[in-house]
Amino acid sequence: MIAELAVETTGPSASAGVTSRRLPWRSRLALGVQSLVVRLVGPITLIGIGLVMRFLYGFKFHDLRDIRHRFKTELKANSGPVLIAANHLTFVDSPILTWGLAPTWWYVFHSAKMPWNTPERSNFAANPFTRVVVYLFKCLPITRGGDRKVVTLVLDKLAHLLNRGHLVLMFPEGRRSRTTRVDRTQAAHGVGRLVKAAPGTRVLCVYLRGDHQDEYSLLPVKGETFHLATSWLEPATEKKGLRGSVDITDQILTRLEEMEEEYFNLR
Amino acid sequence: MSQQQIFEKVIAVLKRYTKNEDALNGVSASTNILEDLKVNSARLVDVILDFEDVFNIEIADEDADSVNTVGDALQLIEARIG
Repeated sequence: MIAELAVETTGPSASAGVTSRRLPWRSRLALGVQSLVVRLVGPITLIGIGLVMRFLYGFKFHDLRDIRHRFKTELKANSGPVLIAANHLTFVDSPILTWGLAPTWWYVFHSAKMPWNTPERSNFAANPFTRVVVYLFKCLPITRGGDRKVVTLVLDKLAHLLNRGHLVLMFPEGRRSRTTRVDRTQAAHGVGRLVKAAPGTRVLCVYLRGDHQDEYSLLPVKGETFHLATSWLEPATEKKGLRGSVDITDQILTRLEEMEEEYFNLR
Repeated sequence: MSQQQIFEKVIAVLKRYTKNEDALNGVSASTNILEDLKVNSARLVDVILDFEDVFNIEIADEDADSVNTVGDALQLIEARIG
């Protein structure tokens, strides 16, 4: 695993001309070690979090079998980088949607398919205990509005992972929506930048919403049942530089808005 | 375009996004755009795009990362204008 992540140019898209910068060896090594640790403790942490969500919080999904079947079928049918871009309503959207897309035990055997996350450092990695927890759940904490060099290094790490077949999850809204609708006001354009850095990236847009999610909240209510819709997108842009990243992020947010509209039309 | 003209245009752009207009009065090259001018981090992208429009230049993602202070912005714009 460490060797797999440390290899510099033999990823599936290397032949397609990867434009992302070379990741420093220390970062590659750190990612390799984290992947290995996640894999080793996975039978405990992944199955444990699944049990907590299922039995302690009583979370459920509408049409769960169908969601999971489609996810696995699509992953099998297509190779290449996959970025998951989801709407953002609660603190625990990430584990919920990861569990919705596949049973947690499945990720024990398909570790690369468990998405990497970029939680806000002040929320999720503020003390040693939470830092360990987020580490074990494949998180690379990021500080919103923090040092640009540090943010850039995290994005480079994510591009590196994408190019090597790992799934990455990001929230293009940049923060939890205060209106409970897809919110562009704090859009995180790193999502578009990441798509550009990993050529051929397909974006799995995910719209996740609990039946009782009517207002801004930290957590879903206990016993919540979730609607989870997916839609694949292959964003492309003629625009260059930062404007290209913004354009791609806009396309993703537009798709999420369409999915949200569909959700409310069917409700 | 003179340095003074570039500086004035940069300040005009920043004025649209700053939450601390008082800080604009004593602005210098070392003024931090996010911390001192209290520009929302999500709006920094819009600031850079406005620079592109105002100065008719193109800024890469990587170059945008180097903009922390007003001086960084001036340096970048001057380099792009040539």
